[in-house]
Amino acid sequence: MDQVPAGPGPVPGPAVLSVADISGIIAEALDDGRLQDIWIRGEITSYKHHHSGHRYFSLSEQVWGRNFSLRCVMWRSRGTDLDFEPRDGLAVIAFGYVQFYEGQGQVQFNVQEMLPAGAGEKHLLVERWKRELAAEGLFSEERKRPLPPFPSVVGVVTARTGAVLQDILNVLGRRFPCRVVLSPTAVQGDLAHLEITRAIRILDGRVDVIIVARGGGSFDDLFPFNHPDVVRAIGCSRTPVVSAVGHEVDHVLSDLAADRRAPTPSAAAELVVPDRADLGREVAGYLERMKGSLEKKVQASGLLIEDLRLRLQPRRLLRRVNEHRDIVAELGEDLDRAVAGKIGRLRGELEKERALLDGRSPLSILARGYCIAEKEGRVVRTARDLGRGDRVNLRMHGGGAKAQIEEVYHDKEV
Amino acid sequence: MTRKFEEMLGELRDVVKKMEDPDTGLDESIALYEKGAALIRECERKLAEAELKVTEVTEK
Repeated sequence: MDQVPAGPGPVPGPAVLSVADISGIIAEALDDGRLQDIWIRGEITSYKHHHSGHRYFSLSEQVWGRNFSLRCVMWRSRGTDLDFEPRDGLAVIAFGYVQFYEGQGQVQFNVQEMLPAGAGEKHLLVERWKRELAAEGLFSEERKRPLPPFPSVVGVVTARTGAVLQDILNVLGRRFPCRVVLSPTAVQGDLAHLEITRAIRILDGRVDVIIVARGGGSFDDLFPFNHPDVVRAIGCSRTPVVSAVGHEVDHVLSDLAADRRAPTPSAAAELVVPDRADLGREVAGYLERMKGSLEKKVQASGLLIEDLRLRLQPRRLLRRVNEHRDIVAELGEDLDRAVAGKIGRLRGELEKERALLDGRSPLSILARGYCIAEKEGRVVRTARDLGRGDRVNLRMHGGGAKAQIEEVYHDKEV
Repeated sequence: MTRKFEEMLGELRDVVKKMEDPDTGLDESIALYEKGAALIRECERKLAEAELKVTEVTEK
């Protein structure tokens, strides 16, 4: 018999590693870029949704009769936004990284995100389109154009029936009614992207701004708005485009290519037209400002009249000046009281006022060769005021005269 | 179609600016006021009368 070494002691030969050591080496070996942040396609098997909320399963496939299987774990925190319930036999694509689970000595795929295969592939397709379209420059900021402040014609690309069009029309009607041209289209389905593209092109150049809208829906429902045809039609449109697809949380590629993105169709309508209530306030504000500045100028010309009064002493003319100033004061008050609906009245008064200013300026009347006759301290307004032998005072440019009436004659009919 | 609201609003803004210019005389101001008041009436009429008109296109 061979002799067995007695008792423990240093053993010659190959080094012996501990399990921890080897686990470390395996973990290190798995730390490979090809195993990190990757998508894996497979069929779910041995699915367990543990009461802790974590999900344990395998991704499997058969190739030429051979079975391949990979242990997977999806922690509770990662599974909260799954929008489907995984089950055995379901084809999925999963995103995550490969790691070594030391406690069980297992290589496992730590799943960060998971989608049913069909939809999942669509997601990946959208990601690819996004990269390609971005490379074409369709999403660049320099392409974005401002929306016209007062569009006369708003184009809408959406379904003919349904709440979306109604929402848009309601908002437009309330804020700033205008012409609306609907370019109807299907907004979901396998061929919807063709219709949407065409509907956009029909409106391009015919309207002032285009709203491309669709109500909320699933990723699949909104899918046509990710299609490169639609995205390019929006990006290349000569007319500015507002994209409003789905709800606030939904994002589609058409949003990125549009000049503006609106969270909802109603919000898009609010973006494209101003609010007429605001405009009404602005316009009314201008009326106030015009009244203010006119008032100031009327006051300034009142000072001018005062100046004239000092230079021209005659009392009756002074009375007219005062009369005039009263009217000016009244007008000032009227201006204060005037409101938007009373512009017409105010304007009439202004008309009169101007006539007074022009016609009654004492200087201009006398300087033009007119003469004012006065009897017993009162102005003679009509021939009927006079009788033969009356004494009158005449006031004219440069002085006055006293006179006696020799004869009075009357016009036939005045 | 009469004039665009946008143009009228722009003109109204100019009128107000001109009126607020201290170099503008009373006569001119009164004329401007009339013009401005007419613009305001027209703007307000446009705002009040604006109507939603919906048409549909399907052909290029």
